[in-house]
Amino acid sequence: MGDSQKILWKRPAHPDSYIPPNSFLSSLRKNPNFRPYTYWHVVALSLPATQQLATIFIFLAVFRQLNEGTLDPLFLVGATSVASVLGYSIWVAQTWLGGGYATLTLAHCGKHLRSSILIFLSLLVLSPVLKTLSAATSSDSIYALSAGLFFLNALLGDYRLGKVAPQLQESLISVLSMNAAIASSVVLASRLQQDVAVFALILFSVQVFALSPMLRRRFQHTSHLRFRITSTMVLTSAALFLSAFSFPRSISLLFFMTFAAITFVAPGALIWAQKFKNEIRGPWDVAVPKVN
Amino acid sequence: MRNGTSATMAPLSIAMITDFFYPNVGGVENHVYMLSANLIKRGHKVIVITHSHAPDRVGIRWLVPSLKVYYIPFVPIASSATLPNFLTFLPYLRTILIREHIHLIHAHASLSALGHEGILHSHFFGIRTVFTDHSLFGFDDAASILTNKLLAATLRHVDGVICVSHTGRENTVLRGELYDVAEDGETWTIRNHVYVIPNALIPQHFQPGPQSNSDTVTIVVLSRLAYRKGIDLLVAVAPRICKAFPEVRFLIGGDGPKRIDLLQMREKYQLQDRIEMLGPVKHTEARSVLIRGTIFLNTSLTESFGIAILEAACAGLYAVSTRVGGVPEILPEEMISFAEPEEDDVFRAIGEAISIVKGGKHDPILAHNRIRDFYDWEDVTERTEVVYDNVIKLPHTDIWQRIQRTMGLGPFAGPIYTIILIVNCMFFLFLEWWLPRDQMDFVTEDWDPKKFADFVMGEDEHTQVGSTESIP
Repeated sequence: MGDSQKILWKRPAHPDSYIPPNSFLSSLRKNPNFRPYTYWHVVALSLPATQQLATIFIFLAVFRQLNEGTLDPLFLVGATSVASVLGYSIWVAQTWLGGGYATLTLAHCGKHLRSSILIFLSLLVLSPVLKTLSAATSSDSIYALSAGLFFLNALLGDYRLGKVAPQLQESLISVLSMNAAIASSVVLASRLQQDVAVFALILFSVQVFALSPMLRRRFQHTSHLRFRITSTMVLTSAALFLSAFSFPRSISLLFFMTFAAITFVAPGALIWAQKFKNEIRGPWDVAVPKVN
Repeated sequence: MRNGTSATMAPLSIAMITDFFYPNVGGVENHVYMLSANLIKRGHKVIVITHSHAPDRVGIRWLVPSLKVYYIPFVPIASSATLPNFLTFLPYLRTILIREHIHLIHAHASLSALGHEGILHSHFFGIRTVFTDHSLFGFDDAASILTNKLLAATLRHVDGVICVSHTGRENTVLRGELYDVAEDGETWTIRNHVYVIPNALIPQHFQPGPQSNSDTVTIVVLSRLAYRKGIDLLVAVAPRICKAFPEVRFLIGGDGPKRIDLLQMREKYQLQDRIEMLGPVKHTEARSVLIRGTIFLNTSLTESFGIAILEAACAGLYAVSTRVGGVPEILPEEMISFAEPEEDDVFRAIGEAISIVKGGKHDPILAHNRIRDFYDWEDVTERTEVVYDNVIKLPHTDIWQRIQRTMGLGPFAGPIYTIILIVNCMFFLFLEWWLPRDQMDFVTEDWDPKKFADFVMGEDEHTQVGSTESIP
């Protein structure tokens, strides 16, 4: 056993401060469940976070273009609508190919169509209200608020990978994350001049922050690393391309450095920090009861 | 002058300092009381310093075997512990220690802020310090990390540490950083002032009941009904046992958040006539519950000592327990069956216990006699006295050494605690000026047990300290 010295029910032969040479801390285990990460594995895991940041940067670039008047709002509405239809078809096709005929019938599709038209129209009606909603607030406060909300969005995003049942409700955290992004775009929209620009921006934000993550997550659960790398490349280059047109060069450089830091530097830091891992387990830990 | 002092040990004035004392009832409270009572019996002078209790338990009170208790007007914040603040206890402590001529303080429980502060301040008066740790803590949650750092800082100043089990000692040595790492960074040496002295109980309070000849096997559970006591395991196992052994009855005493789960289980499996729920049971009534059973079941998920198991074993019950914490150390293999904290294994262990009890292989009287020899307060007190004796003989640690030790805590905690230490020094000097020692109201007369004994002798023989437990 090795525990033979550790008994209290016999009068000890040694003084009470005597420490048995071999049995002391014999049941101490260090890092029992520790599996070291490898660098490229962590890099692959970091890709969803990079994608989320790229989405935010794309949105910021589009906002800037709308604000400067260099992007036609109607063109954005059109592009968004086309992208929505395209994305929805992919989503349906993917469900059907995956054998999900029962979960997604034509009646479901009709319902989806109805609700999307409803959202479209109500956004159109509401856009003058949204435009004046925070118009009285100074731009400094709006930009600070929106930066904070986007930060919250990135912080709370659902970056999990792996198999999750498609019917499974999204976690509260990811709903909060989405709400933060939509709220941020609503306050940003109040800086725009035209009603139609406000409408275009909100529609675009619903597209990129609410709908596209659903599609993206679907593919992350079903497809392989290659898809993840491709979609990250597409999103980051789109973000860099758009920002090159909309912002001064320093901002584009900042975006690029953020991507590099999240994807390549942060995993390296995590791998480096692993050598300090020192988890101590012993008989004093609260046991976890196993109940059938 | 004093009777009963051991030949080697000069009588000491000892102050027990803890946040946990009567009128609250619990393991630490009982331990402090019993230790004090037995030290008094051996001729020492003992006082207890604790915080006040609402509504009016404040000031100085006396408990039965001439134990003086100082209730300091501090308000507890959570679970009867006061807020750690490192400063405000000093004026009270200084006055008490000086006027009572204290030689040694003994702090109890690692979550007791008063105890920690007592250890940090006592060296100003040249008073030696002993600390007893009663519980186990992990290392991986925020609360543990914080309290472990507090403990490590306090234990830099302590002269002796007592733990109640070997597992407890391993835990305290790691938490309190009571080891020195050699130059090579590999070899550890544990400091030689960490002792293991178990708890004890009063065997007279747990006499086995009369032998019954019925075929019924009653399993007693007496614990707080909370997650940490493994009530989930009990809820899972009880119906299976009832199904597999028709002669088994359960007797469950205690209250807590998991009580509702037990009631639901009983309802679901229609076991109202097999499982009796007693509700809260007072410690003084524990024996009367215990002797109704033959097997004692403890499903705790963590336990530093497991005094409840000992009390049950002393009352002649065969014990079944999960193998956690310090429990494997307290009883020899033939008096207890161990299970891993898993439903199937607990089921197996109870089955084993039932066959042992039914086969007549467990003798309650013999078990009681063995416990009486193992766990005796007089023995515990004697062993504690040895610690006191070693500690009293230690050389004084000067302030510079203390600063060096404190700085060794780490790059962040070290300077913070050093600042606290220096501020405390200045506060102490201020108090010396503000309340000079020659103006203090010294205690000149202590309770004389001999005079008291002579007085009581004619009426009653109840002067035997230790068997008179008083809960005010």
